[in-house]
Amino acid sequence: MDSEVLDEDLRDCLQELSNVAVGRAADLLARLLDTFVIMPIPVVNLMERAELSMALSSVQGSHSVSAVCQGFTGSKISGEALLIFNDASFTDMAELTHFEGEITEQIELELLMDIANILIGACLKGLAEQLDISFSQGQPYLLGQHINIDELLSKNQSGWKRLLTIELPYKLEGRLVNCDLLLLFTNDSLAILRDKVSYMLE
Amino acid sequence: MSVPLLIVDDSGFARKQVIRALPKGWDVEISQAGNGVEALEQIEQGKGEVVLLDLTMPVMDGYGVLEAIRARDLPAVVIVISGDIQPEAEARVMRLGALAFIKKPLNTEQLSQILSDFGIHSA
Repeated sequence: MDSEVLDEDLRDCLQELSNVAVGRAADLLARLLDTFVIMPIPVVNLMERAELSMALSSVQGSHSVSAVCQGFTGSKISGEALLIFNDASFTDMAELTHFEGEITEQIELELLMDIANILIGACLKGLAEQLDISFSQGQPYLLGQHINIDELLSKNQSGWKRLLTIELPYKLEGRLVNCDLLLLFTNDSLAILRDKVSYMLE
Repeated sequence: MSVPLLIVDDSGFARKQVIRALPKGWDVEISQAGNGVEALEQIEQGKGEVVLLDLTMPVMDGYGVLEAIRARDLPAVVIVISGDIQPEAEARVMRLGALAFIKKPLNTEQLSQILSDFGIHSA
């Protein structure tokens, strides 16, 4: 189905649905960390996997990132969520969670998994509710720690060539926390999404 | 006389949702803006006596619009309709002089209720 295109109306609609979903995730994160989350403007695109690294604006230029990946599926829509943290974020993240002590790789992993659970879960739930579907989520797994973006993306080769991407670059106010939540949908999911939102676009 | 109503959101889809949610029979002259800068221009032209304002937008966000309305003392009554539902977001816009804060997705009854509560429009 290479003929699938992302027309402006559909892109705009998916961006707005994402905006609402992201708001819920941001609210949970803000409550957990007792901080203010700077709301990202979702970026919706249809692209080749090879172009993905250029799309990761928020963590672009970071030499060292850590990332978690989690698959999801439901109502013939499937994809995966990637949460990518700039490694420079962990000091502030530990502080916000009142962690005292040495920030080991294990602690970073725990922080990463905790934040991933909250952000990915809330975001997918927010999207699913608006689409009147539900997603089941697979187990989150670590893609890598302290690696660069290219290494990271080479580890994440699901075989899908063309992807619908929703990029959500989160920031915390007054903190050096940069993370990118990336929702990747299979090309086949696009037609289903179009169908699900068609009544909203009338 | 129609009320000049300005709907501000970077998403055309979201603006359409707001227009659909307006109370039936409310006599309004609708204008639209896709970011804060466009919104302020239109408010200065008298097109936004009532403003339905999104927060998260490029160029200038909703906070910027509220600050400018206050700084320039513009005659606009602002109801924020926001995807950012953090309690702090609501507290900030209320401090900046917004009349009310509505969470997205927009609920038609809630909008009608708020318009009626503040005497802007009663069905």
